[in-house]
Amino acid sequence: MRKADQRPPVKAAPLWHFPEPAKLWLDNGFEVLANHRPGQYVASIAIVLDAPLSEEPAEIEGVATITQRCLDEGTRTHPGAGFAEALEDIGAILGGSAGYSASELSCDVPVSRLPQALRLLAEAVREPELRPDDIQRHQTLRLAEIENTLANSTQRAQLAFRAACVPGRFRSARMAGGQAATVSQVTVDDVAAFHRRYYRPDGTTLIVSGDLTKAVFREAEAVFGDWDVPAPNTVRHQSPVSRRPHCWLIDRPGAVQADVRLGTFGIDRGDPRWADVQVATYALGGAFLSRLNRELREELGYTYGAHLVNTPMRDGGLISVQGSFRTEVVADAVSRARDLLNVANRPFTSTEVADAVAYANGVSPLRYSTAQGVTDRIATLVADGVNPDFVNTNALALTRVTPESATQAITELLPPDQLSLVVVGDAAQLAEPLRDAGWTMSVKP
Amino acid sequence: MEYVPESVIAYPIHTRSLPNGLRVVVSPDHSVPAVAVNLWYDVGSRNERPGERGWAHLFEHLMFSGSEHVASGEHLNALQAVGGIVNATTWFDRTNYFETLPVGALELALWMEADRLATLPDHLTEAAVDTQREVVKEEKRQRYDNVPYGDAMEHLVELAFGPEHPYGHTTIGSMADLDGATVAGAASFFRTHYRPDNAVLTLVGDITPKEAFKKAERAFGKVPGGAARTFGALNSSRPSSPANPSVPPLAGTPTRKLSGRVPAAATYFAWRLPPRDTPAFDACDLALAALGAGQTSRLHQRLVREQQVAAGAGASALPLIAGNSLGLVQVRSLPGDGGAAAAAAALAEVERLAETGPTQAELDRAKIQFEREWLTQLSRFDARADTISAFAVLHGDPERINRRLDEVRSINLDDVARACATYLQPAQRAQLDYSQEADHAEG
Repeated sequence: MRKADQRPPVKAAPLWHFPEPAKLWLDNGFEVLANHRPGQYVASIAIVLDAPLSEEPAEIEGVATITQRCLDEGTRTHPGAGFAEALEDIGAILGGSAGYSASELSCDVPVSRLPQALRLLAEAVREPELRPDDIQRHQTLRLAEIENTLANSTQRAQLAFRAACVPGRFRSARMAGGQAATVSQVTVDDVAAFHRRYYRPDGTTLIVSGDLTKAVFREAEAVFGDWDVPAPNTVRHQSPVSRRPHCWLIDRPGAVQADVRLGTFGIDRGDPRWADVQVATYALGGAFLSRLNRELREELGYTYGAHLVNTPMRDGGLISVQGSFRTEVVADAVSRARDLLNVANRPFTSTEVADAVAYANGVSPLRYSTAQGVTDRIATLVADGVNPDFVNTNALALTRVTPESATQAITELLPPDQLSLVVVGDAAQLAEPLRDAGWTMSVKP
Repeated sequence: MEYVPESVIAYPIHTRSLPNGLRVVVSPDHSVPAVAVNLWYDVGSRNERPGERGWAHLFEHLMFSGSEHVASGEHLNALQAVGGIVNATTWFDRTNYFETLPVGALELALWMEADRLATLPDHLTEAAVDTQREVVKEEKRQRYDNVPYGDAMEHLVELAFGPEHPYGHTTIGSMADLDGATVAGAASFFRTHYRPDNAVLTLVGDITPKEAFKKAERAFGKVPGGAARTFGALNSSRPSSPANPSVPPLAGTPTRKLSGRVPAAATYFAWRLPPRDTPAFDACDLALAALGAGQTSRLHQRLVREQQVAAGAGASALPLIAGNSLGLVQVRSLPGDGGAAAAAAALAEVERLAETGPTQAELDRAKIQFEREWLTQLSRFDARADTISAFAVLHGDPERINRRLDEVRSINLDDVARACATYLQPAQRAQLDYSQEADHAEG
């Protein structure tokens, strides 16, 4: 028998299988994906509409966001505040947003009131009032939100990095909710037109997860089945490409810390290197003792956390080192991060790969243990045009990653001399040390 | 077949106390092949003495810096590498350590938790204290100092309770006190608060109570501790625990005005409320929900929708155990606006609520929303385990999680009206105002 001070062995978990959704197509092209999860008493619902932001006219970017935000401001059946009352009276809460590749309306509700919630959601997407005063108010609120976003160092860095990596002719180079100049141009008619054109049954997916009964398909059909298909519409999704590297220092006078993004345009889930990059991302900047976090946090105390973050889009993606560092150490931290990304000098080990795969596949049962976890994941995949069976095929693909394939993928994706750098902080203190460290930064207000 | 009604939802609770005082709770759930490990230590920022602000949280970081058989950072890293989600947090009333893992890794997790509980104070190094002090300072900058309105809570608890009160400062503490932390100070803090008889271990997931208790006993049984504790006995006997300092509602409206680089003016109100999970607290919580939770709430309807003087407005209760909780209202003005109109409109709504309380429809809505939030919280192994630990540590009664919905349902309109009149009067508030610095207010 093992002694008390001896480390217990770990029994390896068998590869867990994500139960795939049951599907139903309605005659009008509306798709229903149902995920029965016993013991999940709060159902999680999402409606994903094929309305990529690249479809927004350039001069009124933000129209998708304002449309989405007005959905719950009243319907023909429940006008004005009556809609929110009806929804909150059954214990439901709404969420969602207009994302780069789809608009989404989501809702959590105790399962006992799921049928009522479906009826209300159908009202919101099919027959919202879209009243002029609500539209104008949401326009004002969005303009206030932009000020908030720009005042936040982390969000500022995120936006600037996006712009540094994606050429401006692609919609995903800019804020999803639109800029002040475009949001202020959105009219009441623009919102009505956007709704007419993109809120339609064909191409729309309903995802429901929770402790369901077989009646869920019938309930969905009852409220979405008679949604008429309008005139045919061709929705085009953009395929962004990489921009040449940019190094920007965004001035935030008096900031006590700087937010850093260092990386490039990346890949999406359809790329054959996807599993390799996931493994590499964990080893470089996902695990607690990843190469980045070990050195920059645990050894040097430069930051609360240094991560490599891999964000897929429908086409392409963004990959970057992310962290906040006190002003004095920023230049050293950035140079060290760049050196750590240079994996050709120091290839991944088989232990790093094994740990990354065990982590990714080990956390899946928990990650998908709740109705919310399942719905969110499937909604993200549907929005990006990926079949939900990706969860299982990806788990298998991870087990085939080798140290060589992971090293190769990062060498290709993050060449140390081709990285974009965004630093948001006190430019007066940061410009010189960054220049001395060899970074040629353009300073932006 | 019918959907499950809320009235039948109940989670199994099994309890056992080890001879060294560690209390263990097990709640089996075989829906997913994972298990959540959750340890609550009955120590938080309210246990910090003058000069120690931020120590409880800094020392939480040191719990990952290595013990007799575990190297620095290894606790987190090794458990992640077997598929675990691992972390710890510090709050006013507790410090919790948790990991959710595939069941085959449960014994390793328990062994590592027991190793650091038993041996950590003997393995602290100056290098670890120095590094984690810097990490925590970076955390403070990242999460609070470099974020617009990031210091709001720090000011609000100080205004509401006074700087000397156990709740008068936040967990992140102050840079000066963090500078004062030493190896000796940390060791003494650990020996005082990190003991089996000052902790609860909860296990939720794909495991039987028999196996779970056996594994817990095997890992923790040898850790030296105090006397066995029963679940009902609360921590009043603990020398380090401050006396229950219940303070009456505020008078005189303590106010603070800050000017800074914020995107819009903002106003916050704070109240001293009764301690958490009491009928009076629940009544305040429901009243604040009617005032400022969700789109139908009075603050959103009046300030954002009708008068259009605010970009956002909300109200909530922050539950605390020792004598008082905190009630909060926050109002964000529209950019360029001075903020006076929004603050006045919010105050008018507070006044109206204090006079007559919410309507029956508002109360019913607040209760049904509470129900969903509660069920959501219990839907995930890790959050369920944390909730069970909370009720075990704070109330000595983990089974109470199955009665909580009934407790809140039983609050009636009179209870809420009385709570509003007693605890949420405009004159009983503290107020914090942010205005935009002159050079920042344009546009």
